[in-house]
Amino acid sequence: MIEELFDIERFANRDSFIHRLDARVKIIVTFAAIVAMVAVPYSTLVFSVGAVFFIFFIVLWALSRLSPWIYIKRALVIISLWGIVILFQIFIKNPYYSEYHTIASLPFGISIYAESVQFAFILFTKFIITVSFVILLSSTTRIQDLLDGGRRLGLPADFALALGMMIRYLFVFGYMYRKIVQTLESKAFDPFDRNLPYRYRMRQIGYTIGTMFIRSYEQGERTYTAMLCRGYGRSSHLYIKKKPLRTGEWAFLFACFAFVVLTPVMAFVGYLHMP
Amino acid sequence: MHIPDAFIPIWQGAIYWIIALIFIALALRWAKNELNEEKLPLVAVLAAAIFAIQSFNLPVSMGTSGHLVGGALVAIILGSPFAAVFILTMVLIVQAVIFGDGGIVTLGANIINMGVIGGFVGFYTFKGLMAGTKSMPVSAFVAAWLACVIPALAASVELFLAGMFPLVEGMIAMGTYHALIGVIEGIITVAAIYLIMKARPDLVDQGVYSVKGAAPV
Repeated sequence: MIEELFDIERFANRDSFIHRLDARVKIIVTFAAIVAMVAVPYSTLVFSVGAVFFIFFIVLWALSRLSPWIYIKRALVIISLWGIVILFQIFIKNPYYSEYHTIASLPFGISIYAESVQFAFILFTKFIITVSFVILLSSTTRIQDLLDGGRRLGLPADFALALGMMIRYLFVFGYMYRKIVQTLESKAFDPFDRNLPYRYRMRQIGYTIGTMFIRSYEQGERTYTAMLCRGYGRSSHLYIKKKPLRTGEWAFLFACFAFVVLTPVMAFVGYLHMP
Repeated sequence: MHIPDAFIPIWQGAIYWIIALIFIALALRWAKNELNEEKLPLVAVLAAAIFAIQSFNLPVSMGTSGHLVGGALVAIILGSPFAAVFILTMVLIVQAVIFGDGGIVTLGANIINMGVIGGFVGFYTFKGLMAGTKSMPVSAFVAAWLACVIPALAASVELFLAGMFPLVEGMIAMGTYHALIGVIEGIITVAAIYLIMKARPDLVDQGVYSVKGAAPV
């Protein structure tokens, strides 16, 4: 995952209308879209709301001027983690349906149900929409801007300080991770190589992780000393410059927020139905 | 173990968030009191390291792989379960918001599973076993194994409550897989603690060496 970090930050440093938006606007719209999608009950309403949200997402992605391949690649990585669990739903009776109709009987008493297949599609729709908005947010907003945006939205100062420092050092450890992996590869060490004794492989990885832990601790000590030299103390906090939203950003935020909230409401009252 | 957004109804996600926020507040208080606030940078840098450490894919068996969660490791080294809550919360936020691993609505549930349950189970199992066995490797291995398996079982209960899986089958599937990953978590945790004790013994919480008069390892 850490190797993706450098690519994501590179995408976030590009320039477009979406990239230039204040992080607060993007955070609120993203979180609102995710909450709205999750709030839709597990029913066929998800398909109509999901379709509208996906079109909305495509418009925002197009405005970001990022290649669709970036989205597809990132989405596939996430889908690969939970896709099998979603697929597994077709064999399961869940409490969201009262009746089940078997469409295929397999050996060992396993059956595929029509309602379970529908539920798997509902789950996948919800999953892909929520993931898509997270991909859009992180691909168009620098990590430091996300933190500043979070701080301006009320993230506790102590937590923001620690999170800010963590984010700063993510990149340091990203490079360190790369170096360690390259070093292990240059010594022909592969943790998945079955020719090596399992115990030996585990010990080497354990030592590698321990080394990383120690280096991080020592980095923390150096950072702490450097911060003390610069006047860091008990009352120190991240300085966040006041930054009021521009009129255009307010308008964009209001329009998107209203759209995201009203879409499921309209679907619920019956104004939005897929054939 | 990172439950994604679609898998839990919103009202259940809200309940998990409320519980998680209580523990986050307690962890923040721990950080202020126990770390004298000035040492926050140290914990923050450690959080970045845990994030990187989680990127190492480790062989499990039958072609499967897993990665370290690190909750037990952090709690044992820093000598408090709240260290795990604090650090895992930061790691999970970054994973959910930047990488889409986990979710926003389900973040509370994930913090409870990996940070709270993982941290507390790991720390108190270690402490209890150290008092009884006086052996760091045995105590750390069992603590890390349980800190991997019990959060996975908790996740399967949450997914059952959400209507995703039958309880028994879900617990068997999650439990079996994480019991295997837990063995790796245990071995790596022991090896990492052993190395840190040899290289920088001053960094390790005194509880690792001695609990209630136990002899140093």
